[in-house]
Amino acid sequence: MSYGMLFNWARPSIYIPTLIGGPTFQLLFFAALGSYATNRSPAYFAIGNAVQVSAIAGVFGMTMAIANERWFGTLPAILATPANRVALFAGRFMPFVLNGLLVSLYAFALGFVFLGVRLAPGSLAVVGLALLVTVFACTAIGALQGAISLRLRDGLFGANLVTMSILLFCGVNIPMNELPGWMQVVGNLLPFTHGLEAVRQAADGAGLGQVGGLIATEALIGIAYAVAAFALFVYLERSARANATLDVR
Amino acid sequence: MSGSRTLRLISFVTWFNVKMLLSSEFFILLTFISPLIFATLAFFLFKSGGGTAGQTLLYVALGAGMMGVWSTTLFGCGGAIAWQRWEGTLELLVNAPSRYDYILVGQTFGAVVFGFYGIVATLAWGVLLFGMPLEATFPLILPLSLLAAIVSLGALGMLIATTFVLYRHANALGNLLEYPIWLVAGLLVPVATLPFWVRPISWLLAPTWGMEAIRGATIGADPPILAIAMCFILAVVYYVAARVTLVFVLAKARRDATLSLQ
Repeated sequence: MSYGMLFNWARPSIYIPTLIGGPTFQLLFFAALGSYATNRSPAYFAIGNAVQVSAIAGVFGMTMAIANERWFGTLPAILATPANRVALFAGRFMPFVLNGLLVSLYAFALGFVFLGVRLAPGSLAVVGLALLVTVFACTAIGALQGAISLRLRDGLFGANLVTMSILLFCGVNIPMNELPGWMQVVGNLLPFTHGLEAVRQAADGAGLGQVGGLIATEALIGIAYAVAAFALFVYLERSARANATLDVR
Repeated sequence: MSGSRTLRLISFVTWFNVKMLLSSEFFILLTFISPLIFATLAFFLFKSGGGTAGQTLLYVALGAGMMGVWSTTLFGCGGAIAWQRWEGTLELLVNAPSRYDYILVGQTFGAVVFGFYGIVATLAWGVLLFGMPLEATFPLILPLSLLAAIVSLGALGMLIATTFVLYRHANALGNLLEYPIWLVAGLLVPVATLPFWVRPISWLLAPTWGMEAIRGATIGADPPILAIAMCFILAVVYYVAARVTLVFVLAKARRDATLSLQ
């Protein structure tokens, strides 16, 4: 229920332009730019962006799911309940992970039909697992951004910044080894980098044995962001109670 | 209303809107930060393909800057009338003695002028971080190119403002139309490399000619006379279309008593 109420884009008139139309043109834009600038196959950019577009659902969705409680004035009521905070917090992940997967699968289908994306035979399961873990990690950083947004005037500023940073730092369009050292360090600390690499390798035919490490690393990064988000949420709740700023906007 | 009073009204609203946008974190991101991220991304892509000459850098910086201008125009103008509704000022502005379309012109020009700060930001980015040479092959034509681009994008912004108001979720249309115009207008990828059927679409878009006018004056071989002329012609067409749409929208809103409804 909270998904439908708090996720502003959950109605078709916003969902279709934003989560179907936007990713469609993002894929086409980067496939055209990337292949023009580097002479690489459009499929390379299509795969990177097909994974990255899940961030639109994960990062923006989770930011809204947490920050909108405050903006809609429901945060005090939620925090007044004795509900388990872990369940309250974790329960928000599932719809956004599923939505992120849906957007990403649509983008893969688009890449398959128009941009030459091909998956090695038998690689579907590993690609799917890597994708699922990547979307979870992305949703986790969205949760952290949502928790941060409880203290900000404009929460979507950070959400925009995170999705743009993923485009730049995580090997979505530029291979990691072509980035300067400091950008690689940033990329390795963000979700997506390891998961996307796992998706790329699995798409080329690598098995779970070869990409298992990358998937595990991505999962650990996602869990770390989720724990950080929960800790911040709890800290902000206590701080807001102590300072009577729960409903201050 | 005399010409000088009209100009004063438009310039006041333009400046007022620039100041309002400066207080918005979202527009700061859209105008200053997003073009730098896309410029960096494009630079590494071109570097990966072996193209890092000074002219390539300038091409990328101008293209990424214009991407920011388009985003600011799209989001700043797309929600212009809707914001006035939410803030409760639409009825006052429509019923004021000044013509409402002049106010809207000022508002949309404010968004476009604000967006052009993004080009300054990306040029500074290129010079400071990548040693980009700051030069123009036709420096005397460059101000005219900039003016032409601002006028045509401002008029397009007005058309966007008057048409987007018919759609309940204008921001969603903004999310939809950001990437396709970046692509079709040839801001980072030449239109000539796109499928042939895309080209006629690009000719109808102000960002195409605005970009060509600015690039022509900075790195072009010939003065961009055609592009500058097209900017002004399109500006007139957009303004007339926007005015007709505005009259229709306002008449309908008055008739249905929905002017202040959200």
